[in-house]
Amino acid sequence: MADEEKTMPEIPKGDPFIKTEMIDPVFMMQYDACTRCGECEKWCPALDAKDGDPKYSPMNKITRFREYMGQTYGLKAKLFGSKRLDEDDIQDFADVFFHCSTCGVCASVCEAGINTVDMYEATRQQLVMRGNGPYGKTVNFPKLIGEYRNPYLKQQSQRLDWIPDDVKIAEEGDVAYFAGCTAGFNQQVLGVCTARVLNHLNVPFIYLGEEEWCCSSAIIRTGQPHKGDIPKITALHNVEALEARGVKQVMFACAGCYRVATIDWPKQLGRKPNFEVVHVADLLAQLIQEGKIEWKKSFDNKIITYHDPCHLGRHCGVYETPRIVLDNLPGLKFVEMDRIRELQRCCGAGGGVKAGIPDMALEIAAERIRDAQAIKADILSSCCPFCRRNIGDGRDYVYDQQGSTNFDLRDNPDNEMQVEDMIVLVAELMGLSTQIKSQEGEEEKLDHLK
Amino acid sequence: MSDFVYYSGIPSFVVMLGIAMVAIVIFLLGMYINMKKWGSGSASHFLRVFIKKINHVKLGHHPRQSLLSTIFLDILIQRRILRRSPFRWVMHMLIFIGWIGMFVLSMIFAMFEMLHMIGIGNFDLNVIRNSLDFSNEILGYMLLIGLIIAIVRRLAISDVSQRTQMFDWVLVLGTLVITITGFMAEGFRPDAITGAWTFLGANAALAQTFALFHVAISLLFCIAYIPYSKYMHMLAAPMVILVNGGGE
Repeated sequence: MADEEKTMPEIPKGDPFIKTEMIDPVFMMQYDACTRCGECEKWCPALDAKDGDPKYSPMNKITRFREYMGQTYGLKAKLFGSKRLDEDDIQDFADVFFHCSTCGVCASVCEAGINTVDMYEATRQQLVMRGNGPYGKTVNFPKLIGEYRNPYLKQQSQRLDWIPDDVKIAEEGDVAYFAGCTAGFNQQVLGVCTARVLNHLNVPFIYLGEEEWCCSSAIIRTGQPHKGDIPKITALHNVEALEARGVKQVMFACAGCYRVATIDWPKQLGRKPNFEVVHVADLLAQLIQEGKIEWKKSFDNKIITYHDPCHLGRHCGVYETPRIVLDNLPGLKFVEMDRIRELQRCCGAGGGVKAGIPDMALEIAAERIRDAQAIKADILSSCCPFCRRNIGDGRDYVYDQQGSTNFDLRDNPDNEMQVEDMIVLVAELMGLSTQIKSQEGEEEKLDHLK
Repeated sequence: MSDFVYYSGIPSFVVMLGIAMVAIVIFLLGMYINMKKWGSGSASHFLRVFIKKINHVKLGHHPRQSLLSTIFLDILIQRRILRRSPFRWVMHMLIFIGWIGMFVLSMIFAMFEMLHMIGIGNFDLNVIRNSLDFSNEILGYMLLIGLIIAIVRRLAISDVSQRTQMFDWVLVLGTLVITITGFMAEGFRPDAITGAWTFLGANAALAQTFALFHVAISLLFCIAYIPYSKYMHMLAAPMVILVNGGGE
């Protein structure tokens, strides 16, 4: 090995081993701002899922990259040329670096106020460009979204397939509903319920249908925006299509799409869109406070809790309106879990973790389920299809582990905690059907009121 | 005390000035290298982006506080640390106030020394030095207590101890050496006006040796070494808070 190292050519001056052109100068400075206080380690869900293995600690990831930068751009590198780093070590670092849901709790607690999410995403992009990422199946996102305009291998012509006959979509109007790929293809109950609720509340909305393209969140979060420049292309397409329809508000029920529209679209385009980005929880909270919502059904004294999606809460600052909605649902007692709002524990699905490292996603979700169990929640609700899916998987995982010892569950499986999106619960309590198109004619499958 | 011995206790003010100049040059070189690193090879690119981002509007619904609030609440009061751990905040503030306070007092006295050297103003440097003694002692003890807490914390609290690297120890122990040599230089030095010896007893040679060592190591370790070490966070962290808008 020593001989091999000797035969490796020196990297010429001006040709650094790790380039940084994709990392904003302020993000680069952030690597030097870490005080190594270790506060992030107390909160990081990925570190918990890895049983505290220090190499997964946010602090140590930052220290490690800072050391690479020192070896590549420090005084010694200036004088004697950039040091050749061990490729295996860099690959190991990249793998560790992708073991993160980019939830941003480390940024919330960082004493130096480091914006870790944007810094991690930019660094991921640099690692991907270098050939050290992304991780696992997430490598397929650019190809899928670039080719199909969604990550689910569906044709654009299928974009309208989720819309049931009873849902009215306006030809023109001030409000557009951006359903997103997951509500449109994969968890259609979310799209159906959102549309029925808006119809019920007399909020006419248009829908782009085949013109709606994926928001490309998965590509940005996994450090692959440079591959075909897809996030920019999709941002431009979606914004121009919405602006061409003359809408004043674009409604989102998906936290991932909402985050992209709020933060990434302006970044990609270099300007804010000519419409307001609104989450459906904002609208519902406003109508509840104005006394304009009438509930037709009620739960039977159940305990509900709310999981803040990272993309809606920490990333965009929307904490209050989903709580107003859930707190007003009839027959439910709203109880907060441990770790909420800006200190919320991530569900584990974000940052490409669900697709790339599903085991870790499950471990993180299981912790969130245990948080909900600690307050004896009957329903764990959220406002994000990815949280819904992953926390639901986490619940099944936890119950598989606990099933034989949990008397409540063993004797009565109906005692299982329900994991459901806020919009589905709202639709049910408004007395609306939650059936998706493919279930029409069948008995109502979702019924949380039992 | 007929001939004034300059504040640092070093016979030749020129020696101290020389070390200070060297330290500043090394510091500036290090900062230039860092800014080049941050700016993908261009220090001016970094500075342009940094200045542009200080007042940028955050996307999303996060409340944006004023620049003054950021400087006062987040950089000076360091409320982000207070919110997470009052204990660590006390430790940090003791070190921060002690360190910055003594730095400011040293700069003030250095200015008087220079004015005295070039003959501007009619003042007694001994009186000025003595008037700063009490403040310096208080600040020195604050720094010492803060450092002792930092060391005990790194040794006694298991999770802190586990994550402590040599990287961290260099900073803490380096600062401790500077603090102790400062106390010893002060302890060997006679009172500027009465000539009475202070707590370590009369030893002019030792007083000057410790003073020289203290000043040299302070300048080299705490100014010149900053851009090349973990000390860099002392500058980078406030800059990051300024750009990211602070807040809780």
